[in-house]
Amino acid sequence: MGKTVLIVDDSNTMRKIVSRSLRQAGIDFDQILEAADGQEALDVLGANKVDVVLSDINMPNMTGLEFLKAKAEDDAIKDIPVVMISTETGADIIDEAKSYGAKGAIKKPFTPDLINETLGPLL
Amino acid sequence: MKYAQDIANATQEIFSSMIMLDVVPGEPFQRDGTKLLNGISGIIGLAGEVKGLLSIHLPNKASLDITTAFLGMDVEEVDEDVCDAVGELANMLGGSIKTILDPSGSKVQISMPSAIHGEEYAVDCLTDSESVAVPFTFNDQTFTVELQIGPKSL
Repeated sequence: MGKTVLIVDDSNTMRKIVSRSLRQAGIDFDQILEAADGQEALDVLGANKVDVVLSDINMPNMTGLEFLKAKAEDDAIKDIPVVMISTETGADIIDEAKSYGAKGAIKKPFTPDLINETLGPLL
Repeated sequence: MKYAQDIANATQEIFSSMIMLDVVPGEPFQRDGTKLLNGISGIIGLAGEVKGLLSIHLPNKASLDITTAFLGMDVEEVDEDVCDAVGELANMLGGSIKTILDPSGSKVQISMPSAIHGEEYAVDCLTDSESVAVPFTFNDQTFTVELQIGPKSL
């Protein structure tokens, strides 16, 4: 059965770039779902089987960190791996994200190779 | 201001890795109060221990070409996609500069990106702020990345 990725970013441009970079990295997803903030991401996870999430941190409505916290409290989705993909990659923020269950972090700007290195072991 | 080389490095990295465009930095300068004409600017605010503004100013034609390269599709007018792309450029630039200003990531906060555009507009920061602007060229076009930092920030 094919795999599904959820890309969470308030920027439509960045969601397209991440989607393109996944293809360039040679990571073949059957389905690419999108959400514009953390709340939308929770809604998508509640309605779809998702194998991995790539999430921005700075987003309106519900941030990436708030999304991680809410996801960790929901038994149905808490084990879905999340990789943060953000301009915010200071040690304190990444430590906080990992304390809420994030499996890794990719700094914008990024290359397809970096996405492959980070995401590959989770699939 | 000492951050001109950091701005040049961050901008070149973003354009080469995300847009596949080679941009060439020019001589840093201080932008006076001259209004910006027929263009679009992406803006990120800095708060916390360093207060200021990071902005990228693009003439309309440059913004269209960059968005076309960014998205891989033709863009013919300054629309929502262009504003989003320019805002995201400012976001990545702001994140890179924040990493230099605050390696721990906890002492400086960056705002959500915004974009403004028009026939004639101004982008100003704080009174008495220090500033540096770095011009870039690509394919016979130009744009500028500017950092303004408040007087008590550093």
